[in-house]
Amino acid sequence: MINSIARYGLIFLVLILLQILLFNNIQFSGYVNPYVYVLFILLLPVEIPAWLMLILSFGTGLIIDVFSGTPGMHSSATLLAGFVRPYILRLISPRDGYQSGVNPSMLIYGVRWFLLYAGFIVLIHHTALFYLEVFRFTDFFRTMFRVLLSSFFTTTFILLLEFIRKGK
Amino acid sequence: MRNLLNFLAKYNNLLIFLILEGIAIFLLTTGNNYHNTRFVKGLRGLTRGIEERMSNVRSYFNLRDINESLAAENTALKNSIERLVRNEEVLFFSVSDSVYHQQYIYTDAEVTDNTINRQKNFFTLNRGKKDGLAVDLAVVTGNSVAGVIVTCSENYSVAMSLLNIDFRLSARIKSNGYFGSLSWDGRDVEHAILSEIPQHVTFGIGDTVETTGYSAVFPEGIMIGTISNFEKSGGDFFRIEVALMTDFRKIRFVKVIGNMMKEEQLELEKSFK
Repeated sequence: MINSIARYGLIFLVLILLQILLFNNIQFSGYVNPYVYVLFILLLPVEIPAWLMLILSFGTGLIIDVFSGTPGMHSSATLLAGFVRPYILRLISPRDGYQSGVNPSMLIYGVRWFLLYAGFIVLIHHTALFYLEVFRFTDFFRTMFRVLLSSFFTTTFILLLEFIRKGK
Repeated sequence: MRNLLNFLAKYNNLLIFLILEGIAIFLLTTGNNYHNTRFVKGLRGLTRGIEERMSNVRSYFNLRDINESLAAENTALKNSIERLVRNEEVLFFSVSDSVYHQQYIYTDAEVTDNTINRQKNFFTLNRGKKDGLAVDLAVVTGNSVAGVIVTCSENYSVAMSLLNIDFRLSARIKSNGYFGSLSWDGRDVEHAILSEIPQHVTFGIGDTVETTGYSAVFPEGIMIGTISNFEKSGGDFFRIEVALMTDFRKIRFVKVIGNMMKEEQLELEKSFK
């Protein structure tokens, strides 16, 4: 128990630092902003109580908000991602269900499953985030383009990070 | 009562979600533009140390470019001194007190934090109220437009970058004097859009676009960029793409311009509005 809290703490710290120090500084033509910290929400155990899930995702978003000077934006998007996660998990559950006591990672359920899972949640998160950022529906399709492009890059980086974790 | 409790037990997660989402949306709508919310003020104090350190690291990568731009500015300043000295010789006998004609005052500042990858970009300056900065002062870098100050604390100020979809600026084409409204469309850090130029106006690609003095924020004739492309848009207007002269990716040393006669201009204009 303590062990797993420490492990999640470490993952959390690494992801937040990566996001703030590295990915927030990627400035590529104004379209691509990967938000890899979503990986933390993805990796939480399947049977985590829903209320804890919500509070953790809200907190994660809030910390990112503080460091990027955007109160509420990441909090609400990440909270939404945390809220829909159980439904997504149910939607794409593997044939023989989830094993207890493990986190939904690529190691256990395979790359294809993880890609689908990560892709879904990242897409929901980014849709909320980018539309909240612009806060208007003019240029609807351009914002959608930004959502799709950034989701693609975020999912790619998340996969990359998972491969690195797996390699360890 | 029991029904209510049952209901709460059944939907408690939805309730937590709605409450937290409510808090987030509240923060978003009240605090997104840095406008003096307690939340931001308190937290920015916490994060400032990290930001400054990061900005220091980043500045090392840009030293070469910064040197070049400072050298270029030096040359320009030397040239203008030369011109002024010559002017003075010509006007040797005229009595002119330049102090009374000075309209704009300049303060230099350094950018300590900057974003360009959002739709609403801001940058932070290392000067504040203590140094005489105030809301609505113009920020330029070299001789081109960078932004407008939106909030000041004792020692720091936050400016809205030109790269912000809420930024509007009165701009004109230098060659013919027609003016329109300049804004950023959120697409590309190197280009902004000049609109409201009527279609009968002739101009060419490469023409200079500069500020008008109409807004009382920017002095007249500050460079914005050059025309890189244009197309007819609905109605009778052009949609002109302006290649920005300022490179916001490495903006660092800026000047803040205060207009000493702004109050007077606004006061006068108010009586006609």
